[in-house]
Amino acid sequence: MIRHPNRRRIVAWVLAATASIGLLAACNPKQIDAFVKSSGGVDGLTANLKGAFGSVDQPKEIEMGRGVAETLLGARPLHDDPALQRYVNEVGAWVASQSERADLPWRFGVNDSDHVNAFAAPGGIIIVTRGMLRLLENEAELAGVLGHEVGHVVRKHHLNAMKKGAWTNLLGAGASAATAGKGGGALVDALVGPTKELYSRGLDKDDEYEADRVGVVLATRAGYDPYGLAGALQTLGKIKADDPYLALLTKTHPNPGQRLDRLGEAMGENLTRFEAQPRNEARFAAAVKALRTAKPD
Amino acid sequence: MIRWRCWGLATMLCASMAFADEKGFTLREVEVKARPFLDAATVGKVPGKAAVTVTERQGGWARIRVGATDGWVRLLTVRLGNPDPAKNDTALLATLGVGKQRSASGATATTGVRGFSEEDLTAAKPDPGQLARMDGFAVARATAAGFAAAGKLSAQSIPYVTSDGRIEKGGK
Repeated sequence: MIRHPNRRRIVAWVLAATASIGLLAACNPKQIDAFVKSSGGVDGLTANLKGAFGSVDQPKEIEMGRGVAETLLGARPLHDDPALQRYVNEVGAWVASQSERADLPWRFGVNDSDHVNAFAAPGGIIIVTRGMLRLLENEAELAGVLGHEVGHVVRKHHLNAMKKGAWTNLLGAGASAATAGKGGGALVDALVGPTKELYSRGLDKDDEYEADRVGVVLATRAGYDPYGLAGALQTLGKIKADDPYLALLTKTHPNPGQRLDRLGEAMGENLTRFEAQPRNEARFAAAVKALRTAKPD
Repeated sequence: MIRWRCWGLATMLCASMAFADEKGFTLREVEVKARPFLDAATVGKVPGKAAVTVTERQGGWARIRVGATDGWVRLLTVRLGNPDPAKNDTALLATLGVGKQRSASGATATTGVRGFSEEDLTAAKPDPGQLARMDGFAVARATAAGFAAAGKLSAQSIPYVTSDGRIEKGGK
């Protein structure tokens, strides 16, 4: 039996965490000892707990985000159109530069999925599907969609969700790998499970509504028509609720009508004076022309 | 392959559909304006929950037609689709012009659709090579500012807003 001055505190932590995820019945002192051992002993576990619950500094957040992005890009690689990738980075970098986290190494990518969706990883990595780009009508809509994703990063929604879920990870298969300072590979490996879990389940609805509000303000700060995101949500709202192209988006987000209701309340007349700002239809149409005319592969 | 030949037709259909009339409905009673401006003349009123045809969208405004009334209302006072989203009948396949297409010979072919479904995510393996590719497309802030200027975009100082439409404390 391992005896350690911190043992009682660790047991209390583990009990609290397992209770919260419904695993209390499966937890006895022997298993706790085995878990502590598999986590690199008491010192390793303490480091884990600090890593999971302490503040994650910006370099760590960026490293985690890159781990998350490797798995998201493993699900679907980038769409093969360098000019389009560049264009989306230009719009995205400009929108992100209007946020209080302009100093992050922002990256934007279009993946080759025909499904409609967009994803944000901690630290400033944004992936949008080519299906989404086909659905949008102008650059202001793209700025609104990217602004929503930038909003998730700025407000650290995924990072906080992962911190909340850290116990699940520590108690699961990733326990032995999820130690801080083991190098990038171990971190990526440890993040695979939580990434799949989080991006399949989605964030809390309130995080999505908040990202909508932040996204609209960022796109408007960037000089776009404030109604870009609303326009994109209007288009989404007319699609069949059970459309397979929207399955994951529908599962992980409030429905477009609810989002428009909330956005309408938040926007009120706050941004009306900016509605003559550009939508840049022509520049957008030129950028996505190849995407719209190409045969799917 | 038949499915590729159909793609050109699908693309043309898609382009022509972009400005097609769309089914919609009002959320509440709305004033219909002659032009998409708040101070434009009012040309009529439409009650809430009325079925309308949305013929055009322009930023914060939607042009609607209902009976003899034709004019502009605020975008967020109308919704596209059906009041009950479960009754929406527009498939994304039709909107995007991808998926099942009928060929000239009458045979139905399914185009290759690449998904990002829950199953795709579950089966994913980390791909550092793709992330490195993504790094290669990164745009510096100065470049982004030049892109914005070319698009006549001027940065504005605007605070964040709260869920009930107030100014968020600590906003820019």
